[in-house]
Amino acid sequence: MSAKQEIYDVCVIGTGAGGGVMIDRLTEAGLNVVALERGPHFSPSEFNEDELKIVIRRQLFAADKIDAYRPDENSPTEYGNIAEIVHGVGGSITHWGAWAWRFRPDEFRELSVEGPVPGASLADWPVNYQDMEPYYQQAEMDFGVAGKAGSNPFEAKRIQPYPNPPHPWRPSSHRFARGARKLGYSPFPLPVAINPRVYGNRPGCINGGACRGHGCPMHAKASTLAVSLPRALATGKLDLRANAAVYDLPVGKDGRLTGARYIDGAGKQQEVRAKQVIVAAGALGTAQLLLLSRSGQFPDGLANGSGEVGRNLTFHHFPAVAAVFDEDLRTYTGVESLVAADDLHPSDPKRGFIRGGVIAESNVASSQPLIFGAVLHGQSPGSRWGAGFKDKLREFPRTMLFSAICEELPMSSSQVDLDPQTKDGFGLYVPRVTKKQHPNDVLMHRYFQQKLTELAQAAGAEKTLVLDVPGATIGDDMHQKGSTHNHGTCRMGNDPKSSVVNKWCQSHEVPNLWITDASVFPTSGGYNPTLTILANAYRVADHFLAQARRQSL
Amino acid sequence: MTLERSRRQFLRHTVAVGAGILVAAHSPRPLAFAAAARSKAPEMLTSAEWGALEAMTAQIIPTDHQPGALEANCVNFIDKALANEDAAALPLYRGGLAAIDVYCRSQYTAPFVDLTALDQQAVLSTLEQNTLEGWPLGPSAPPAMFFENLRIHTIVGFLAAPTYGGNAGFAGWQVVGYPGPEHHSGGYTSGQVEGVEKIVPVWERDHGDH
Repeated sequence: MSAKQEIYDVCVIGTGAGGGVMIDRLTEAGLNVVALERGPHFSPSEFNEDELKIVIRRQLFAADKIDAYRPDENSPTEYGNIAEIVHGVGGSITHWGAWAWRFRPDEFRELSVEGPVPGASLADWPVNYQDMEPYYQQAEMDFGVAGKAGSNPFEAKRIQPYPNPPHPWRPSSHRFARGARKLGYSPFPLPVAINPRVYGNRPGCINGGACRGHGCPMHAKASTLAVSLPRALATGKLDLRANAAVYDLPVGKDGRLTGARYIDGAGKQQEVRAKQVIVAAGALGTAQLLLLSRSGQFPDGLANGSGEVGRNLTFHHFPAVAAVFDEDLRTYTGVESLVAADDLHPSDPKRGFIRGGVIAESNVASSQPLIFGAVLHGQSPGSRWGAGFKDKLREFPRTMLFSAICEELPMSSSQVDLDPQTKDGFGLYVPRVTKKQHPNDVLMHRYFQQKLTELAQAAGAEKTLVLDVPGATIGDDMHQKGSTHNHGTCRMGNDPKSSVVNKWCQSHEVPNLWITDASVFPTSGGYNPTLTILANAYRVADHFLAQARRQSL
Repeated sequence: MTLERSRRQFLRHTVAVGAGILVAAHSPRPLAFAAAARSKAPEMLTSAEWGALEAMTAQIIPTDHQPGALEANCVNFIDKALANEDAAALPLYRGGLAAIDVYCRSQYTAPFVDLTALDQQAVLSTLEQNTLEGWPLGPSAPPAMFFENLRIHTIVGFLAAPTYGGNAGFAGWQVVGYPGPEHHSGGYTSGQVEGVEKIVPVWERDHGDH
């Protein structure tokens, strides 16, 4: 018996939101799956709230990661651990804030809604909200989303209620809601994929704080590590290989992939064979892998006859205002955010820009002391040391963030390719981001900064501080270099000339190659992407299994 | 370019340099950083360097009615960081401390530790403004870079978990009012989240050692 010669039904590359769901659904259906994950296999006992190690130094989730960034082709490239993403079993959903949104119907058809925009590459999705609705519901059920149906007047129409009720609100949540109501907005409980009670064989949240940026030590926060992968392992159909960095997807003479080649934890080259290959390595990692996989048949990278692989990369931008109140807001307890408002989300060209985003309470700047003292105040203007700085430190329990998830316009020039000189620890050329902001982003950013300041003042803030720290601020000459939210790079679409995969997320060019992470998003919406990644993967899995049953894969 | 704009650009640059410490880009899996904190004796710094650096940290986060960097032992945090994750910054610290010593002895005829608080603040300001004379480390490691490393390291040492060698007696957490990590000791009740029940911070807790 030699495992080496086994031909798996499916090889899945990446175990985060997009890969984890596929692994779960396909093993449940009885397929033999091998999953290859670049990073280690975390134990929840490592999720120990050590803010310096995990959040600041990023030593747990992506210690060896190197990103390359340049604003344009004529600028020098800088290197660092920039994108806040996870290399490890479970992927980046392991340390998410668990904001779990359904996109609005217009966010699937932005080209139709807005028309062409100069400098932007707007596109419609090849699926609409109606196609997605049942799969959003499935994702909400599996990941135990807590929320209140009908409380957001701007949300997409839903058929079923949320499977869990909202969490109790902190004083900071009430502050946000009070300010929002004063301005005529409609605050509502932010839907979070965190158990408020025992649900789905997982415990209820104990409100320990240290949530976003951390793994949940008790799996009350939903993730593929907590939900999908244990279920898949229990079927006996999953061969899960951690520390396996895939560097090539070889193509056979028939134009189909034969499997995947990877470097294992000991630095040895390995190969697995599989009938179908699903890539879900994140918008940076998926593009990197396709571009690494060059062959006589695909000299510019796998499935890249269109030249579109790596293009149309979008992040979100995050305007934010820190505000100080006269009471202990308890931001260091519980989940990242409990209340939001969507009144600024619908696109309105009268504001001077198109698109928008959701606004919400956030404890990101005051959930733990280092992010507050060393990042928020350590990098903002004003007193930077001495007695004045120490007085600012004492504002920790009274500080909260008013934040927004703002949509970026896609641009063809926003691109991931391979850095020509820098290799990672596995010897692979690292992904290089070339990206600037569209002018629409900057106008939207300033508008939201202004609106969030008004909101904080309406909530009774003693003082406000518009965030001016790297990553939180953009401007005419200030571009985001990396993000937790990475989308685009392998667009789905009906036209093989302008997209990489079809509406079933199957390559136009290589029939047994599928992509199920946020790479396939033509546009990014004004919400966190993860529930849409999950729902889309459930949708693709249904199609995949139907095709498999018909033996037409 | 106006002077103010160039100064702002410079500050943005130096902030970015300081922020570099916050993300250890190429460090391998966690080092024996916490283990090093078991020893409070200097590992990398000489006793003179330790003394000068300790006095500098005490100006970054001064002692008032609450403890400051001195009581939190931030200098120990920096010493242990220089022995591990931030070893690359050791030449900057070593060269910078030597240059500051020369500067203080020539300008004030005394080492940094013996200066008045106001004079110490003046010296740190010349570092921050990049105007300290006689700096020997060259343009790639200017005085402002030394200052940013000192400043960010002091803040991190004050606020990181005490296992890293600073935040002694939870001094930093007392100042900010962070009650401590909670997941491993039972979490918070709904009433504590809602702000209607008291929270006992880690430094006031009876750990049941009867």
